[in-house]
Amino acid sequence: MKEAIAEVGEILRQRAEQQYSEELAQIEKDDKKQRPPNWRMSPWAVSTYLLGGKLESGFEVTPKYIGNKRIIEIAIATLATDRALLLLGVPGTAKSWVSEHLAAAICGDSSMVVQGTAGTPEEAMRYGWNYARLLTEGPSVNALVPSPIMRAMKNGSIARVEELTRIPADVQDTLITILSEKTLPVSELNEQIQAVKGFNVIATANDRDRGVNELSSALRRRFNTVVLPVPSSLDEELDIVTRRVAALGKALELPGEAPALEQVRRIVVVFRELRNGITSDGKTKVKSPTGSMSTAEAISVVNSGIALAGHFGDGTLKAHDVAAGLTGAVVKDPVQDLIVWKEYLETVVKERDDWKDLYRACRDLS
Amino acid sequence: MAVHIFGIRHHGPGSARSVKQALETVQPDCILIEGPVEGESILNLVAEPDMVPPVALLVYSPEQTTKSAYYPFAEFSPEWQAIKFGLKKSIPVRFIDLPQSHWLAIGDGKEDEENSGEENDPDDSDIDENLPEDNDEALKDPLGALAKAAGYSDSERWWEHLVEQRQDSTEVFAAIMEAMTMLRTEVPTRADKMDPLREAYMRNQIRSAIKEGFQSIAVVCGAWHAPVLVTLPPAKDDVALLKGLPKIKTESTWIPWTHSRLSFASGYGAGVTSPGWYQHIWTHNNRLVERWITQAARLLREEDMDASSAHTIEAVRLAEALASMRDRPAPGLSELMESIQTVLCFGNDVPLRVIHEKLIVGEVMGTVPEATPSVPVQKDLLKEQKRLRLPAESGEKILDLDLRKEIDLDRSKLLHRLNLLDIPWGRSQTAKGKAGTFHEIWQLRWLPEYALPLIDSGKWGKTVKEAAENKTRETASETDELPELTKLLNAALQADLAAAVQFSMEKVKNVAAVAGDIGHLMDAIPDLVRLARYGNVRKTDSLAVEHILEGIISRVCISLSAACSAINDDAAGPMFVRIGAVHSAIQLLQNEEHTKDWLGSLFKIADSPGIHGMLAGRAARLLLEQRVIDAPDAARRLGLALSTATGTLEAAAWAEGFLKGSGLLLIHDDTLWSVVDDWISSLTPEKFSDILPLLRRTFSTFEPAERRQMGEKVSRSSGGSEGALKTSQMPQQMDLDIARADAVIPVLSRILGIEQ
Repeated sequence: MKEAIAEVGEILRQRAEQQYSEELAQIEKDDKKQRPPNWRMSPWAVSTYLLGGKLESGFEVTPKYIGNKRIIEIAIATLATDRALLLLGVPGTAKSWVSEHLAAAICGDSSMVVQGTAGTPEEAMRYGWNYARLLTEGPSVNALVPSPIMRAMKNGSIARVEELTRIPADVQDTLITILSEKTLPVSELNEQIQAVKGFNVIATANDRDRGVNELSSALRRRFNTVVLPVPSSLDEELDIVTRRVAALGKALELPGEAPALEQVRRIVVVFRELRNGITSDGKTKVKSPTGSMSTAEAISVVNSGIALAGHFGDGTLKAHDVAAGLTGAVVKDPVQDLIVWKEYLETVVKERDDWKDLYRACRDLS
Repeated sequence: MAVHIFGIRHHGPGSARSVKQALETVQPDCILIEGPVEGESILNLVAEPDMVPPVALLVYSPEQTTKSAYYPFAEFSPEWQAIKFGLKKSIPVRFIDLPQSHWLAIGDGKEDEENSGEENDPDDSDIDENLPEDNDEALKDPLGALAKAAGYSDSERWWEHLVEQRQDSTEVFAAIMEAMTMLRTEVPTRADKMDPLREAYMRNQIRSAIKEGFQSIAVVCGAWHAPVLVTLPPAKDDVALLKGLPKIKTESTWIPWTHSRLSFASGYGAGVTSPGWYQHIWTHNNRLVERWITQAARLLREEDMDASSAHTIEAVRLAEALASMRDRPAPGLSELMESIQTVLCFGNDVPLRVIHEKLIVGEVMGTVPEATPSVPVQKDLLKEQKRLRLPAESGEKILDLDLRKEIDLDRSKLLHRLNLLDIPWGRSQTAKGKAGTFHEIWQLRWLPEYALPLIDSGKWGKTVKEAAENKTRETASETDELPELTKLLNAALQADLAAAVQFSMEKVKNVAAVAGDIGHLMDAIPDLVRLARYGNVRKTDSLAVEHILEGIISRVCISLSAACSAINDDAAGPMFVRIGAVHSAIQLLQNEEHTKDWLGSLFKIADSPGIHGMLAGRAARLLLEQRVIDAPDAARRLGLALSTATGTLEAAAWAEGFLKGSGLLLIHDDTLWSVVDDWISSLTPEKFSDILPLLRRTFSTFEPAERRQMGEKVSRSSGGSEGALKTSQMPQQMDLDIARADAVIPVLSRILGIEQ
């Protein structure tokens, strides 16, 4: 099995605690405040890790979440009171991102994840059986295959459940006992796993998707809910996009130069205007497309633009490099969204003097 | 001899508590408070048991009540506590601020840039919350500036922190003094020209208190003023400054106030954002967090939202964790509200908005004792409110009145009368879903400012009824506009003001007789008709109204056709609406004579040349509805109007008048439908294409759904134009395969149990 484990440098996307291991170590070293049991650092330090800032030692911590500081404080305080945390928001508002970094900072391990899908079985939340062992040795603790949540309970660390509302309702409800009694009964062995101090659950869910399974009120009651908003101002969103693009570009080793801020600004403006249904000067109404036009998508548009520019262009981000990505991000429904996009191009983009290149590039495509 | 200056923050529970404590320690023999000198005469009322804050000291000019100033006090206002302390100890309590008689006189000419509202707000020049329009915060909120320097996001929390952490509160005031002295030298002097005057006056008052020989004088004033009151320069300059100030006569009284008026959102400058929270801090000494969250949970439950005790416990824990994360000794309002939103409301802020008024504003209304100076009409209103069990409440309330009941009728009269006096305590809503004229829905909300027009109406009479009556007569005698008069008459009738009704009726009659504008006469008809009908429920004599109506209707009928001819499109529009309104009013009246006259004049309009097409078309249509003309006649008229000889625009106007706004009617009224249908099917193809643009112009005004239904109605009539209506109502013809249909019959008969 050894050759299967790749070198860390070769890994496409590193986990938060790997990528920011230095920051975490520095913060930990600097942290003198009181820590909740089994936490790797104090709540204050977790908040510094997420929001960025300067340590006493002079070490600069990059911000992981750009936005309302209070939201992050509520989230951390929730985990410190050993209540489970539910991060709610429309797609692309950095729910999973925040949850990963919280887990990385609090217990140094963000890998205990259950990915919620329509087909997530109960075994993924509780435990499964190693049938070979079950047959040879009979039912025993050794024959159990623990789920990420069960492992987190044993270590006293944070388990993450992604897209909680996609999981079928009956499977969701297995969380109730875990959250209220902090135990996981194994009825087959007449035993129970009791959670070690420091165990907690961070779940994410989005409230926009259709075809989701609403949480039962019993389960909902066991979570503190924190709603992550879409970025409130243009500058904030611009900041997010530039930072993420730079970080991703580094990870993916894209050949292009760092994007010109002006180019990024235009993309962010397009996204904001289409999402809010009104132009940034507040004068013209525009139709909104069916997609959510999230910041995450804006980031990927810029990213693919850089890749295009790097591989096929002269390395600097030009209007025609982002045009395809932009059109693809807006037009999710080939009929309705295309009309929305064309209207937007003709009435808004065309009118802006310094946007002519973008207009031409987009029009050529559609 | 010692003068203790206590610089405070208005409406701050922390300040109130430390002022109280400081007074206990200092034991002064005289208390001077920043407040208008005029209020002094009624200060002793504060000790009355019926005096429950929030109340406001109202200083107004009796000649011109719009000139007035409010000084609101809540229980947690430091000034209030100081007054109570003084009265309890039976030591002199005085107001020392510049008298409003000067202030109002000075403020007369200029628009005070600091005042956001109309009224002169004395308080807002002191230590206030930052106003959003502030250009320089330090000027408006000096404490806020200091708090920011100390690293706090809001000054109130910093203040609470500062005041409540200390045991010896006198030292706090020394600290504030020092800070303010620094601040006053650091930031540029405020542009407010009242400030030097006020401070000079306050110094003068302190001087005279010293002269009177008091040994220990406590001065409670806004922190901003504190530094300049400590050292008393020679009196000469101050006296010179105050010399020759303009002056007007003022009176003062206490009026009940509300928390929502204290709160910031109401536009009152010196407001506080969360009076409910301050009240909470003031009333409870321990378990603040638990109480607050439990209260929120109970309110949420009242609104039918889930809020169990388990939730409450978790919310308290989260609030405390948040406070410690933010290095606060105890959770403040923001921590509490955030944890309530996160735990109790599942991250949703909508439920919080629902309980905002009850929780954060903590809506309550104060009361004032009976001995408070008041004009007779105020007392009368109070008596009426008691009699009708209709207390003045600050919250919004819907009142459903059944006018057949004695008490409800009286209530309605009272509300109508108050409306006539410009006191819109109740706003009349249109009763929905309740048939008959005996229902009235009112939306009630008492605002403290109503005290002012109420006092003002004292000049009209001693009771609400008398005042309303006199005011209405006065207004009626001043106007010569018919629509205004009828509106007034209507209101007077609803308010049951017999003399005013009589008076305005006379006036209406006189004005109507000479009124040249038929439009005004027509506008008066619907209101008067409603009056004539209302008469029965309202127990008013409707005969007089009918008499007036008679005159007006005949006059309208005579001159209607003249008024409709030779007018342009702009004039025709309103006339079109009027004809419709008068028509339905006359229908409502059900007087054969009037109906005949009216239909006669409609005929005239429909037939005479020179009438504006739109009006002629509408007249024809109304006649068709009344079955005065029959369908073929209407079709003939339609054809005539749209024939080639008529000008295009004229024809289009006619069609518009005939069909405007009747898309639905066209679908459901078969007579109208067949008129149009018959006429269209009688056209030759060439003629049809000529006329098409005109028709389109009218039909395009209909809703898309209506047009679609029309299309369906036409297509259902498969037989073309002939007998279109009959076929459209019959089931559609289908091509049946008889042989296959027959095969089903045996089974069907067995199911239905029919013997073959």
